[in-house]
Amino acid sequence: MPVIFHIPGGLREYTGGQKQLVIERTPSTLADALHALWAIYPGLRDRILTEQGQVREHINIFIGDENVRYTGGLMTPIPSAAEISIVPAISGGTGVSDVTGFH
Amino acid sequence: MIGQVLGHCRVVAKIGEGGMGVVYRAYDEVLHRDVALKVVNKDARLDASSSQNLLHEARASSSLAHPNICTIYEVGETDGELYIVMELVEGKSLRTLRGDLGLVSESVVRYGVQIAAALGRAHDRGIVHRDLKTANIVVTNDGLVKVLDFGLAKHVGSEIFEGPTQSFATPQNTSSVSGTLTYMAPEILRGEPADYRSDLWSLGVVLYEAASGRLPFEGRTAFEISSAIMLEPLKPLGSPVPLGLWAIVQRCLTKEPAQRYQRASEVQAALEAIQSALIVSRDFPAERGGPKTTILHSLRHAQVRKGDSLLLVGTTKGAFILRCNAQRRNWEVGGPYFHGHAVYAMAYDDRAGQHRIWASTQSIWGTLLRSSDDFGKSWTNPQDATIRFPADTGVSLKNIWQIALGSDEKPNVLYCGVEPAALFETRDAGETWALVRGLFDHPHRPRWMPGNGGLALHTIVLDPGNKHRMYVAISSGGVYRTEDGGATWTSQNRGIRAEFMPNKYPEFGQCVHKIAMHPARPERLFLQNHWGLYRSDDHADNWIDIANALPSDFGFPIVVHPRKPDYAYVIPVDSDQFRCSCDGRLRVYRTRNAGASWEPLTCGLPQKGAYETVLRDSLTTDSFEPAGIYFGTRSGQLFASRDEGKTWQKIIEGLPSIVCLRTAFVSGASPGSKPTLPPAPPASSRTNSGVTRKSRRTKTRTRKS
Repeated sequence: MPVIFHIPGGLREYTGGQKQLVIERTPSTLADALHALWAIYPGLRDRILTEQGQVREHINIFIGDENVRYTGGLMTPIPSAAEISIVPAISGGTGVSDVTGFH
Repeated sequence: MIGQVLGHCRVVAKIGEGGMGVVYRAYDEVLHRDVALKVVNKDARLDASSSQNLLHEARASSSLAHPNICTIYEVGETDGELYIVMELVEGKSLRTLRGDLGLVSESVVRYGVQIAAALGRAHDRGIVHRDLKTANIVVTNDGLVKVLDFGLAKHVGSEIFEGPTQSFATPQNTSSVSGTLTYMAPEILRGEPADYRSDLWSLGVVLYEAASGRLPFEGRTAFEISSAIMLEPLKPLGSPVPLGLWAIVQRCLTKEPAQRYQRASEVQAALEAIQSALIVSRDFPAERGGPKTTILHSLRHAQVRKGDSLLLVGTTKGAFILRCNAQRRNWEVGGPYFHGHAVYAMAYDDRAGQHRIWASTQSIWGTLLRSSDDFGKSWTNPQDATIRFPADTGVSLKNIWQIALGSDEKPNVLYCGVEPAALFETRDAGETWALVRGLFDHPHRPRWMPGNGGLALHTIVLDPGNKHRMYVAISSGGVYRTEDGGATWTSQNRGIRAEFMPNKYPEFGQCVHKIAMHPARPERLFLQNHWGLYRSDDHADNWIDIANALPSDFGFPIVVHPRKPDYAYVIPVDSDQFRCSCDGRLRVYRTRNAGASWEPLTCGLPQKGAYETVLRDSLTTDSFEPAGIYFGTRSGQLFASRDEGKTWQKIIEGLPSIVCLRTAFVSGASPGSKPTLPPAPPASSRTNSGVTRKSRRTKTRTRKS
């Protein structure tokens, strides 16, 4: 089943303005899903991860309603038909409206 | 005509001719720039009243400042000849570009957005174009649209301003009246006056033509064309054109003005809405890797000219570019660029004939180094961050605090000082960057401690007399020097007190806030410490305390005079506990004897209730005579002195917190030209990172595609 990424406003310049992106295959982990994402939208990678491959400090990634910081990070398994949300921390001051504007 | 002078423009070459006049390439001998000069033939059908109206209209249009509008600089009359001096735009007309088959939809939309933006600006100022058509829309080699001849058609007719007058590659035959008629709105044909909505009809014709390569309403005679415009339904554009674009064209070409879009901004918004969808359909993998460029259409840009003075202002929420002529009185503001991103470092690079502005941007999405070759109208936007720590370091880039230029002999070399404390070098003008391992692997590094602003390498100073010597300052690590181009580094902190350490004079670990070198005496450096002001006269081997009788020796910035080695400027704050100006009095202090004594500079600065902070990179000088001194505050105020600090004026207030301030002079000298602008032209072109250069090369503007 495909997975759907929800893209916050601050990153849409790297997705041609798209709010939702669909990956037409089933990745096994979040790392796999993100790898598939950068294959299509390469500008997203360095916005979301540091050069050491860690999710940036003020960015949270949710699979469904779960923050992956508490479910295994990038190795979190991806369930079927998952929706993955990339969410800037509220304190970051960017994309707050997008947090509530998902879906 | 060649060689003649009209106004202050010397005619250089003929570049086009229309039915009522001729267009020349000319050179403005006062402002030292290439211009286009349009001269109306003496025998043109202009009576005195029409001439005056044309002059009036052209003067009104000259007030339009917009990146998508060809600027009119001057209009005049001499020996019965009317002439118009305008921006020289080099590119191809949209008429030429669209060919016989039309452009791809993505290009139509991209150009359409810019044309609509230009119309929007003109309409806001009460100016109707009246003769918008593909022949007077030029696309530069950089993809920037320029709309020409706002408001001029009303009095002169269209022919004079046809293709050859604006573009160097549009020799199409448009001499018949149909050249204008085919773009006319129905209400004009009915004898009603043109208004903004008539321009939006013409925009619809332009979009239709650009997308299909043909006009929407055609005929063999003026009567047939007029009839088609007023009566015939619009012929469909066909399947290659997205429905969204077709809908926009249809609404522009509604015969009843009240049913059209009512404002150019509505058309712009509609085009922008479909623009992103079109971009998505492109082949993204083919675009991987290299830097992308973001062209900013909706911002106000400073219209920079040769001979201008610039202020590059980095704030916690974006960057601004201010320009002024050599008088340095009235500043035009461009920006904000990089909305919401902190810009801690900026630099102006005019080596090898370029006019490049560098800026670092920091946000929760990471830190990027970006550049603009057109004074902010477009910026590189690299998909992959170019400055990145190698995997074996285990650390990640947090911020770029300083951008420093290499020597004039190596125009592709730049340095960046970053957080966590490290130095990066590029030798290919920023395409690739390498960590300077000699410093990063220094045995002291694990014992450096972060200051309040993080563990940052915030200052880079190159020795103009020794290409192998360089200094860096780290908070909190102290001053380090290399004598071998970066391979090895030594700590240079002898005499600098570390108030917060058990050992007050450690070998390293001082919290240095800023160092500055005088280029004419590179052995001399000044240093503002976290408590303490120092000077070294021996390449930083030894430092002596020079805080003599200052109200506080705590502060952040320190700069040197561009020419006088004994002059330095500081802005003390009360203490590290209360980092605001002492006693609520905003004062710059100047020494004229290398720190033996300091004098407060207060004229024009608030002396009551002004609890301000000026950060380490927010004080700078220019290189004019007399020197200009500038500083920006955390409260977003920007002050300037045109007389070396004697008197001050507030340039602007209400900016976000200012964290970086740089000056630059846009080189304007042409071969054989005489400097004419008062005051005397500067002795150097930029003051970045305390390094002032004396090169005065003739510049040829280049643009990065």
